Amino acid sequence: MAASLSSSGCARLMTALARSSVLYNSFESRSLHVTAVCCKNQAARIRIGKGDKPLTYEQAHHPHQIAHRKGWLSQHTSNLKGVEGAAERTVEDVFIRRFMFGTFHGCLANEVVIKRRGNMLVVCALMLQKLPPQKFYFLIGYSESLLSHFYKCPVKLDIQTLQDKAVYKYL
Amino acid sequence: MAAPLALRRDFFSLARILGGISQLGPRGLSACSSHRKCSQTPFHFLQTSSPFFHTATYLSSTPLTITVTDEPDTLFQKVLVLVKAHDRAVLDSYEFFATMAAKELGINMGKVSEPPKDIERLTLLKSVHIYKKHRVQYEMRTHYRCIELLHITGCTAQVYLEYIQRNLPEGVAMEVTKTAMEKIPDHILEPIWKDHPIDDKSSK
Repeated sequence: MAASLSSSGCARLMTALARSSVLYNSFESRSLHVTAVCCKNQAARIRIGKGDKPLTYEQAHHPHQIAHRKGWLSQHTSNLKGVEGAAERTVEDVFIRRFMFGTFHGCLANEVVIKRRGNMLVVCALMLQKLPPQKFYFLIGYSESLLSHFYKCPVKLDIQTLQDKAVYKYL
Repeated sequence: MAAPLALRRDFFSLARILGGISQLGPRGLSACSSHRKCSQTPFHFLQTSSPFFHTATYLSSTPLTITVTDEPDTLFQKVLVLVKAHDRAVLDSYEFFATMAAKELGINMGKVSEPPKDIERLTLLKSVHIYKKHRVQYEMRTHYRCIELLHITGCTAQVYLEYIQRNLPEGVAMEVTKTAMEKIPDHILEPIWKDHPIDDKSSK
């Protein structure tokens, strides 16, 4: 999900500079307007392409649609007013997402949803049916016990499986 | 806490409610009201030929023990339950659930108000290096809902609050303010100068 801002920004800057040097070499008097590279937002957005890239509902909507057409991927109370602990929850969430991505490699159909109810951590994920069910059950039990020992709280996994990824749009 | 015999009646009605409400359940209410994420809805085009499975969370609760004592029960003039969340639809469904539970238990409800939302905005630089003129703004919205319960006993309040709190949806925080009347302490009932008039004369 993380897009490297600096590398694509640098690439655009280089192309802008190259274009400007080419124009100055020509003898036509043209004014050049070089805009700063940062005007476009590129956080959590997939740009329009040829029409062959399948996107899920989550990927197709931009982050300003959160609370309008999108929900939240990680639900906890520490971002509310007057509640502390936001940084610790965020670090836990990042670890859990990487852990799930690595344990169920290639099987995740969509982003992992993390919910905190009281002391309990509920991790919800949509999986593709790439592995036989026995392996799935083993991996679910393994990740539940490992995460609950690591975070000292009960961890439950809610898994639903699909045949293929649910496509919302082609971009 | 003190638990007189009247608690037994409350527990039976609570058991009836838990049986009745938990079918449509606060989880069911919050699931159908707010969440539009595709990861939560089961997809209906699952084919039965290939094996599929679905694990769900099953919560187990320990059975509650009832203790009977002769101490008088605390009486609360007002119990304020303030719920905070990022999503207004979740608060709507939770308010419906809490008011229905209070009505079933026969608790006097005051007004259910909605304090105005708080928006916390941050303005950060968009780029890692330079580009000071281009910034990005984030905001965090906190919606509130306030439920008032009037003239409630300590045990009823304990049972109701425990039921409400066990069914709090994820991402919702609750603050409870209880208002009770206390007896004025004896040492400030009478003014001091009435008890010790001799001390002033002897110091002179």
